[in-house]
Amino acid sequence: MPNPALDAPESTADSTAVTLHVLFFSVLHEKTGRRELTLTLDAPISGTDLLDHLSDEFPTIEEYRPAIRLAVNESYVAPDTQLEDGDEVALITPVSGG
Amino acid sequence: MADLPIDHKTATTWIHLSETPLDIAAADAFLHTERAGGINLFVGTTRRWTEGRETVRLAYDAYAPMAAREMRQLADEAADRWPVLRGCLLHRLGEVPVAEASVIIGVACAHRAAAFEACRWLIDTLKAQVPIWKQEVYADGSTEWVEGQLPDVHS
Repeated sequence: MPNPALDAPESTADSTAVTLHVLFFSVLHEKTGRRELTLTLDAPISGTDLLDHLSDEFPTIEEYRPAIRLAVNESYVAPDTQLEDGDEVALITPVSGG
Repeated sequence: MADLPIDHKTATTWIHLSETPLDIAAADAFLHTERAGGINLFVGTTRRWTEGRETVRLAYDAYAPMAAREMRQLADEAADRWPVLRGCLLHRLGEVPVAEASVIIGVACAHRAAAFEACRWLIDTLKAQVPIWKQEVYADGSTEWVEGQLPDVHS
């Protein structure tokens, strides 16, 4: 027997939304045409989850995936790091300064 | 590029990121101090030929606020590893024509052995860790982002 309380869609007031400010540089910027984007996803979300989501939207991200390091709020992080609401996440491809 | 220039100077450390030509004389002046006996300066410049291809200029992109943060961390770590009295890391962003400087690394130490080692370590580690990327602009009109090293996560 269907239970309206259990079957009702989650209200957005109950779900934890994580808004992220994502930055692209160098080859990712060139190939996606984007410098930055803001997206809101449901928690919990890890770096890997974010890359999964971005790979769906941008084939370039999928292509470069093995060569992407994430930086959250200006620090390099492991991919399983949990992302928090308001985080600035940069996709870092192999660096070549100097 | 937004966020630029970034220019942080303390009594012992100078970090600089900008799109204008680098001032080697200013870097040198910053490094002179009475306790130093050796000053080591490394200047990276745009090279015209690489593996048979001719470059007309390099173009540098950066995650500038994080690059400055990483450069400060490098300066601090160099001062932990060696007796560094003064250190500077200056990087030019945007277009850098052939033979012009893209990066200046400088250290001043009491003795030259530490100055050579610290300077070498700083440029090698900058190239591995700092979120800056170079794009080759070749004479035939093609461009290519140089893929160097994926930075380590700091422990």
